[in-house]
Amino acid sequence: MKFEIQLTGAGGKRKHVVELEQKGEVRTVALDGQPIDADAVQIAPNAISVMIGGQSFEIHVSRSTDGTLKLQCGPHEFSADIIDPRAWRGRKHGAVEVEGRQEILAPMPGKVVRVLAAVGDTVEAGQGLLVVEAMKMQNEIRSPKSGKVERLLVKEGQNVNAGEVLAWVE
Amino acid sequence: MFRKILIANRGEIAVRILRACRELGIKSVSVYSEVDRASLHVRLADEAYLIGPAASRESYLRIDRLMDVAKKSGCDALHPGYGFLAENAALPRACADAGITFIGPSAEAMEAMGSKTAGKQLARRAEVPTVPGTSDPIENPEEAQALAQSMGYPVLLKAIAGGGGKGMRVVPNDAAFASAWRDAASEALNAFGDQRVFLEKYLVGPRHIEIQILADAHGRCVSLGERECSVQRRHQKVVEEAPSPVVTPELRRKMGDAAVRLGRAGGYVNAGTVEFLVDANLNFYFLEVNTRLQVEHPVTEQVTGLDLVKLQIAIAAGHRLPFAWETITPRGHAMEVRLYAEDPDNNFFPSPGKIISRHAPTGPGIRLDEGVYEGWTVPMDYDPLLGKLIAWGNSREETIARLRRALDEYTIMGIRTNVSLFRRILTDPEFLRGEIHTKWLDELLARPHPPVPPPRAGTEQAALIAAALWHSAQSNTSTPGSTEVQATPSRWKMEGRRQQMDHMP
Repeated sequence: MKFEIQLTGAGGKRKHVVELEQKGEVRTVALDGQPIDADAVQIAPNAISVMIGGQSFEIHVSRSTDGTLKLQCGPHEFSADIIDPRAWRGRKHGAVEVEGRQEILAPMPGKVVRVLAAVGDTVEAGQGLLVVEAMKMQNEIRSPKSGKVERLLVKEGQNVNAGEVLAWVE
Repeated sequence: MFRKILIANRGEIAVRILRACRELGIKSVSVYSEVDRASLHVRLADEAYLIGPAASRESYLRIDRLMDVAKKSGCDALHPGYGFLAENAALPRACADAGITFIGPSAEAMEAMGSKTAGKQLARRAEVPTVPGTSDPIENPEEAQALAQSMGYPVLLKAIAGGGGKGMRVVPNDAAFASAWRDAASEALNAFGDQRVFLEKYLVGPRHIEIQILADAHGRCVSLGERECSVQRRHQKVVEEAPSPVVTPELRRKMGDAAVRLGRAGGYVNAGTVEFLVDANLNFYFLEVNTRLQVEHPVTEQVTGLDLVKLQIAIAAGHRLPFAWETITPRGHAMEVRLYAEDPDNNFFPSPGKIISRHAPTGPGIRLDEGVYEGWTVPMDYDPLLGKLIAWGNSREETIARLRRALDEYTIMGIRTNVSLFRRILTDPEFLRGEIHTKWLDELLARPHPPVPPPRAGTEQAALIAAALWHSAQSNTSTPGSTEVQATPSRWKMEGRRQQMDHMP
């Protein structure tokens, strides 16, 4: 499978293409079109061990609330925006329109002050779903895609933590 | 010995105390607020009881509810930990009324030593050196200014009711005195409703060095040596170590003697800490007494081999201290860093939230006193201390190397932590030489960040491969992006169950 990844680290921001192929027991890796001697094993739900030519790295991964991946390797941190091949269809105005069921996550700890959509509603990309208040500021949480509100997991007045799932849009 | 101890606290210190109870074969009872149901101190306790909503004043600060739990669960002793009610004399009084032993000093000793002014008066009586100044508030600004002139500038104006740096003014010279006096008094009035201030000599670049004392109910009071706590950010300790890089055996004996004299003069029983400021010429001046266990007690434990919480319990149970303090000399070196859920890149703003993944360091010379676990949500209602990472070794150098190694192993994702701050401190040349004072860290943080060494070759490639693999693994699960969402029950399973139910008579 081919991934287009924008990696941001202390050295700046660059776009790369990573190709992972699984042939039976063997996984082949290519980076920017060049095959490399690398192996990767998921050792825990959020940790991946990577070997590149005998050099060992351990990378901890989590998804931040805006959807980018946060990667940590010892003291070094990176963030990665992944353009999934399965989501390459349907780009609009150069931006990526996400595909499939989307989880709407709370971007910060706070309180749900208003719910703007109901289960079953048809929503447009960018339409407000809920309003979360944090530190005296009201933030509208918008739908990342056009679709249908499949589930609402919070009620008005409920406290939520950063990263908590608020709703699903299918 | 006690049968059952109520732990009137939460977080890492509650876990620390209940571990000591378990080792002693004593049952432990935890209390928790509504947001702490899933906290580690509740999970590990023998018994746990809800005492109210998240707000501390409705839960952890409610003496009446603590007493109800203690009686209901049949506790014969109570340990207050640190913070919350640990230095509130109303708690030992309530315990005494309820017939429960308070693991700490008496209410009277707490009052005689705990407040800044009372402690200072006691120190003068016990001939413990204090920073030159007044122990009583001064009403008249002219009188105060004359005193400042005789003492020599710089001087410090301090609110009687003060704390946390509020109502404090450094006066560099005589010309600045009048306006500094006005500012300090009005700030004290606004912050504490009490405008009285007192005056003391301002020490330039002092170290904060404290002596741990233990006193039993049979008249024995001992010193367990010093802890150096000069690395502070805005008056909050950040890194602590024992022994201090500047304390000689002779100074240790002199400071220990002074602390023990003070403890005796105050009729102190149990564990306490006498804090001193130490100037460049190694003169020491009494600062204040903490009438409780300190956050940084593990560094003393590591270099003395003693368990302070167990000794606190033994003393409260009326046991004699089993050693004389002449026998206690520090062995090796220990250092502690306080791990906080706060963002050092964003002005140390608290960063509560869910811990998505966590890897704890282990190995030689490493101790981790924590109150957290993977999957737990750090509540926003309390102090964001996650725990303490403590290293010990044969020398200060080995200890620092171990601490750095452990910090590299420590990974926590989902929340921001102050780990990067320690990487900076533990590689700073001044820190490595032990040239620290109470303003050192604030000065360090005011300087621009030194360039972070670049990652070794291959790290970026490894990160890219990890990102791709993790992303594809996540996409293959039924719910993209997260593994936490409860999946809807399988319809096959539901149908199977329904069919089985149909066959039941």
